[in-house]
Amino acid sequence: MEVDYSTEAAVVEGNLRLAEIDRIISRPIEERPGKKYLLALSISSSFLLIGAICVGLTFFYGVGMWGNNQPVGWAFGIVNFVFWIGIGHAGTLISAILFLLRQKWRTGVARFAEAMTIFAVMTAGLFPIIHTGRPWLAGYLTPYPNQHGLWVNLNSPLVWDVFAVSTYFTISLLFWYIGLVPDFASLRDKTISKVKKTIYSVFSLGWRHSNRHWQHYEKAYMILAGLSTPLVLSVHSIVSFDFATSILPGWHTTIFPPYFVAGAIFSGFAMVVTVLVFVRKVFDMENIITLNHLERMNKIILATGMMVGYAYGMEFFIAWYSGVQYEQFVFINRAFGPYAWAYWTMVSCNVIFPQLFWFRKIRRSVPAMFIIVILVNVGMWFERFVIIVSSLHRDFLPSSWGMFVPTLVDLGILLGSFGLFFTLVLLFAKTLPVVSISEIKAVAPGSQPSHAGNHNE
Amino acid sequence: MSEVKESLKNNLVPEKVEPTYWKSFKELHNSNEFIEASHHEFKDGVTDEFELSKLSHLSRRKFLALLGASAALAGAGCADYRDKGEIIPYTKKPEEIIPGKANYYASFSNCCKCRCGILIKTREGRPVKVDGNPDNPVSQGKICAKCQASILGLYDPERLTSPLKKARNGNFEKISWKYVDSEIRNALLKSNGKGIAIIAHTINSPTALSVLEDFRKKYPNTRIYSYELFSEEIKNSAWKKCYGDSQFPLISWDKAKVILSLESDFLGSEGNHIENARLFSNGRDVNNTNKFNRLYVVEGNMSLTGMNADYRLRLRPDAQFEFVMSLLNEVGRKINVDVAGNYKLSSFAKKYSLSLKTLKYIIDDLMKNRGAAIVYAGNSLSEKTHIAVNYLNEILGNKNLYRNETVSLHPYSTKDEWSELVSSMNSGRVGAVIHFDSNPVFHLPSDSGYKHALQKVDTVITLTELESETSLLGNYTLPVNHSFESWGDAKTRTGFYSMQQPVISPLHDSRQKEAALLCWIEKDDFEYKENLYHEYLVKNWQENIYTGLKAGLPFKQFWLGALHDGVVIFNENIPSTAGFNNSALADLNSTADVSGFAVVLKESYSIGDGRFANNGWLQELPHPVSKVTWDNYAAVSQATAKELGIDTNDYIEITIEKRKLKIPVLVQPGSADKTITIESGYGRTKSGTIGTGVGFNTNVLLTSAYGLSHWLFSSAQVKKAGGSYEIVTTQEHQSFDIELLKDAAQKRGIIREGTVNEFLKNPHFLHENSEHKLDTFYPEFPYKDVKWGMAIDLNKCLGCGECVVACTAENNVPVVGKEQVKRGREMQWIRIDRYYSGSVEEPSVSTQPMLCQHCDHAPCENVCPVAATTHSPDGLNQMVYNRCVGTRYCSNNCPYKVRRFNFFNFRDNFNDGYQLDNIFSLVYNPEVTVRSRGVMEKCTFCVQRIMEAREIATREKRKLRGYDVKTACQEACPTNAIVFGDSNDKEAELSKYRNHNLGYHVLEELNVRPNVTYIAKLRNTHTEEV
Repeated sequence: MEVDYSTEAAVVEGNLRLAEIDRIISRPIEERPGKKYLLALSISSSFLLIGAICVGLTFFYGVGMWGNNQPVGWAFGIVNFVFWIGIGHAGTLISAILFLLRQKWRTGVARFAEAMTIFAVMTAGLFPIIHTGRPWLAGYLTPYPNQHGLWVNLNSPLVWDVFAVSTYFTISLLFWYIGLVPDFASLRDKTISKVKKTIYSVFSLGWRHSNRHWQHYEKAYMILAGLSTPLVLSVHSIVSFDFATSILPGWHTTIFPPYFVAGAIFSGFAMVVTVLVFVRKVFDMENIITLNHLERMNKIILATGMMVGYAYGMEFFIAWYSGVQYEQFVFINRAFGPYAWAYWTMVSCNVIFPQLFWFRKIRRSVPAMFIIVILVNVGMWFERFVIIVSSLHRDFLPSSWGMFVPTLVDLGILLGSFGLFFTLVLLFAKTLPVVSISEIKAVAPGSQPSHAGNHNE
Repeated sequence: MSEVKESLKNNLVPEKVEPTYWKSFKELHNSNEFIEASHHEFKDGVTDEFELSKLSHLSRRKFLALLGASAALAGAGCADYRDKGEIIPYTKKPEEIIPGKANYYASFSNCCKCRCGILIKTREGRPVKVDGNPDNPVSQGKICAKCQASILGLYDPERLTSPLKKARNGNFEKISWKYVDSEIRNALLKSNGKGIAIIAHTINSPTALSVLEDFRKKYPNTRIYSYELFSEEIKNSAWKKCYGDSQFPLISWDKAKVILSLESDFLGSEGNHIENARLFSNGRDVNNTNKFNRLYVVEGNMSLTGMNADYRLRLRPDAQFEFVMSLLNEVGRKINVDVAGNYKLSSFAKKYSLSLKTLKYIIDDLMKNRGAAIVYAGNSLSEKTHIAVNYLNEILGNKNLYRNETVSLHPYSTKDEWSELVSSMNSGRVGAVIHFDSNPVFHLPSDSGYKHALQKVDTVITLTELESETSLLGNYTLPVNHSFESWGDAKTRTGFYSMQQPVISPLHDSRQKEAALLCWIEKDDFEYKENLYHEYLVKNWQENIYTGLKAGLPFKQFWLGALHDGVVIFNENIPSTAGFNNSALADLNSTADVSGFAVVLKESYSIGDGRFANNGWLQELPHPVSKVTWDNYAAVSQATAKELGIDTNDYIEITIEKRKLKIPVLVQPGSADKTITIESGYGRTKSGTIGTGVGFNTNVLLTSAYGLSHWLFSSAQVKKAGGSYEIVTTQEHQSFDIELLKDAAQKRGIIREGTVNEFLKNPHFLHENSEHKLDTFYPEFPYKDVKWGMAIDLNKCLGCGECVVACTAENNVPVVGKEQVKRGREMQWIRIDRYYSGSVEEPSVSTQPMLCQHCDHAPCENVCPVAATTHSPDGLNQMVYNRCVGTRYCSNNCPYKVRRFNFFNFRDNFNDGYQLDNIFSLVYNPEVTVRSRGVMEKCTFCVQRIMEAREIATREKRKLRGYDVKTACQEACPTNAIVFGDSNDKEAELSKYRNHNLGYHVLEELNVRPNVTYIAKLRNTHTEEV
């Protein structure tokens, strides 16, 4: 196939005028919600309600409502936590790292991905609290001065988690909000509703699109991008320390930090693609969130999928190479033991199916990529399940071995976490611009001065 | 600095002295400003707003008075404080009660016929723990799990609280004792013409017997029946035929060098197994390896005894006769004694595919150790097998291992007596039946017709603690005292009497069962007094027993001494064994018919004959071999399971003649083919919330017209019954055929074993291949004073599980129920791990008590985010319940998985808050926190006992020593396999074990530095390999 590398592919397609871009992006916010939207919202909020009921049951009766037991102290709760934290990785990666690398194409998807990050981290953040035996004492996990002279145990990775996740959440939220400020101003200027105008005025912090504002804005954005970049890498590294610093075979592995980060980006991008496939269709944004965007993300999925696959292989190699029989047993047990089905689900979803993205046609086919990214989402959930449950259920002493079977409450909370996430995503799509209005204008064809001087307008 | 001060002092304020302590430079330098300021009480500005007129008109005095008055009003007026009549603070403190300090009283328990001596620990007058009485010559400070758990029976919320009488509509209604007494007196007088039957378990109290005699004097047509579901009846009758005496003797297990046990679980459930275990383990001392005994076990199903065998053969129990005859023939040929029959060991071995090598070892060992070997047959074997075994011991000259110390005060009723009773009941010749704390409707064979006949009796009185199958069929259900509320005496052996005394006044409106009888012999206007039986007991002792003892003490002194000690030891002749009566040998000429399936019924390890069905601690105690809780099952071999086309949990139907039982199976490694072993006591249809409907009632298989014995049936038919059940275990079923899982514990070095020969040849064999020393780059923590440690001798540990119940009782461990055990949430702090190795047919079994190892580098501690588990300066891994949030990270990171999490408030969760009952909570040890839900817990090395010992040591101004503390598991271990103490004390017994050549740590290579040393098990085989 011939590709013309001499000119850069347009980020925004269809020769849109700037006013048109404004209109396309702000239309979902201005129009009344349609039937499809309300249907989607009612489904996701029903899931949320199921989840809320199950969490209520857990709070009332105890964690015993879940399937956790003696060898398997952590199961769905922590699986969901790590899964959602992973989902929350694409957003910041796209906005911060790709921003620093001057990848223009990021603009089309950055806002949405960032929003997903925030919602995913919010969803994830619930789990460490609800999985504890006495959630009303979860405050003990934060260091606060008290007359007992008690302090958190800074040796424990769970405390590092608290810091890592809350920092990540704060920075992501700020980053997202800073990006939103000029858009709030645009919306404020456009709207005729008084209520909306007041709200947008408050959130736009008096933005007047002045040169000075833009100068400050660019600097602040750059600084936050610089701050977020190490966080993208650190959060999941620290989450992986929960496992890597323990002595449990199958957890105690030095490969975990990079492996977890790659996995997180992998699953994060898969989730972004899953959602954007719908968003661009429903909101007629195919010209702004183009197939090129999706293809690029699919390439990242392919790359990170192979990193994850490498990690799977390396874990086995190290288990064999270490000569530690517990380690060897855990991996053989993973692949051939009672949870082998989960292991092979994980391997096929995460390593085998993404290989189809080597083909350009599949990379650019929306239905094909949708199926693959859904499989990746499933696979990445199972990856955490395999790591956590299959390592715990048979560890050192054969006498303590056991099996984990999830209960309905476990499944309800898992469902509820999706309900929460998608409810937030849906609300976001209807209340805030899903693509950065100001930034997309900057990358629209013709917005940059060029030698040729051929303005498309 | 000092120069400056000096100059300041000299130049500026020479007249002032430099203050020693100073708060500011101004004060230090004694500036004028400071001196000026120090004359004012308050700093400038502080009192500016102080205006007298603006202050409250209340004076301080008035305010305090009002405060006091309102507090008093709130306290007295608003509180619903009713005078309950009993809650009075000690104005005169009872002499012996010091709040916070435990008192111990010697007594014995009624939980089985052994009448083991106990010490009951009471706190503020409330019994909280039972342990063995060290002064008792038999139990010597050790008791079984049932006895440990009997304290829960005292506080069982479902104990009868008052007498019940069956109303016309069939329901039981409350009635007062006064009416009960007069009604029953009338009924008894009325039925005097006919007959009265008293049905009791074993009667071994001389005074109770005398009460029964008095009762018979008043009502001459009274007959007393006594029974046990499991007894030595057949063994005794065989003994009588051989030696004339009606009691099979005790065995000096400690003197036996070779033990051949045939279908006998003498270490687990037969006889006084606590005593047996102690004597047996004397021959398993790693510090005296030359004197190791050797245990051969030939049995149909893996029993606790079989687990501890050096050599084990599996043989269906109805073939045991043939086996003994083959042994007799073989031995007879060697020592030129004529023996009936023409049995050959080699052909027998071939017939049942037994290892000929092992059989040869048996013969050799028996021949080599004549006089120091014992062949011991199980209670369930047929009479002629017992005769053959007696004869074998006779010709081998093993008679000196017999101790004729057993005493029987009242014989069990015979088959004929029972059938006569039933027929007279049926024909209306029995006017009243008194169930003397017995449950014959559940225990007696259904074909005896007892249940049916009971309906023909006018007055049926059941004296019992809990309602039962029997009490439901009677007219009166009368509550009796628990043994901790009772007086009593017992004579079970020669040479001593045991004494029982109450440690708490009856919790409910109950009476001691003997007192009830005493009350009914009196006239109608007789008023019951609580000390009725007490007075009778004292009188009986003073008049009848004391005089015979020649104690040389005034009676009062003697009596108080007897109660204090719990035993009265005196000189009594032990009869010697008479000569063998050769006429008994005539029975040996018959041959045994071995066909179909063999079915054996055994007493349950935990709940006995069903008496303890309502005891949650015992129901939840895992079976020592299969680790099953809350159920009984049919144990079958894998080959038999295959033949029947079934697997664990599938139902089978057993048919013996016309009696049928549908029960799920469990594939038990080491079971003999075509043999089905079931434990009895389960399947109670009327017990409490806990015991009703747990397991399957095997008593439906019993018959009064048995062939081999009560408990052993040959030619049974067994077929798959369809459907399945869920048997719940605390340990996964072990895999024998997957190479990865096979012998995992051995491959991982969790279980390390050797043989006696190997050890004698090379005492260092265990550590020869061990890896280099494990280092740490952290500085070692200096444990200055005491550092707690434990050693567990796996040579002595039999895997019985007494420690589990003791720990449960000491540490307020909740009962979680079958449903939660199924989920893997049992809460016991100590567990007995059981590992099979070898083949599924002939497995070798290893047991290992597993509890918190209190690691020096505890991996649980550094992962807890809130520092809720920490290390103490005396080496304990501590749990701070109040701080625990419940992340369960510690449990995940514990390589031994000994931490237990309160997934629910189990006390609330199990059976609708059964354990939250007010009465139930009396059982809790006041020194141990009752944990809430969401909290992690684990073994504390009985920290409450350590703290108590520390307090005592501090008060006595001495150092705390390791031997000051005994943990609950250590105290309970019948074989003293657990040693606890100060590992810094080089002289202590613990050091002997910790530095023993056979000592090892489980998962040493993780370098977590556990503080529990295990002493590797030595198997006393002929070769050097295991």
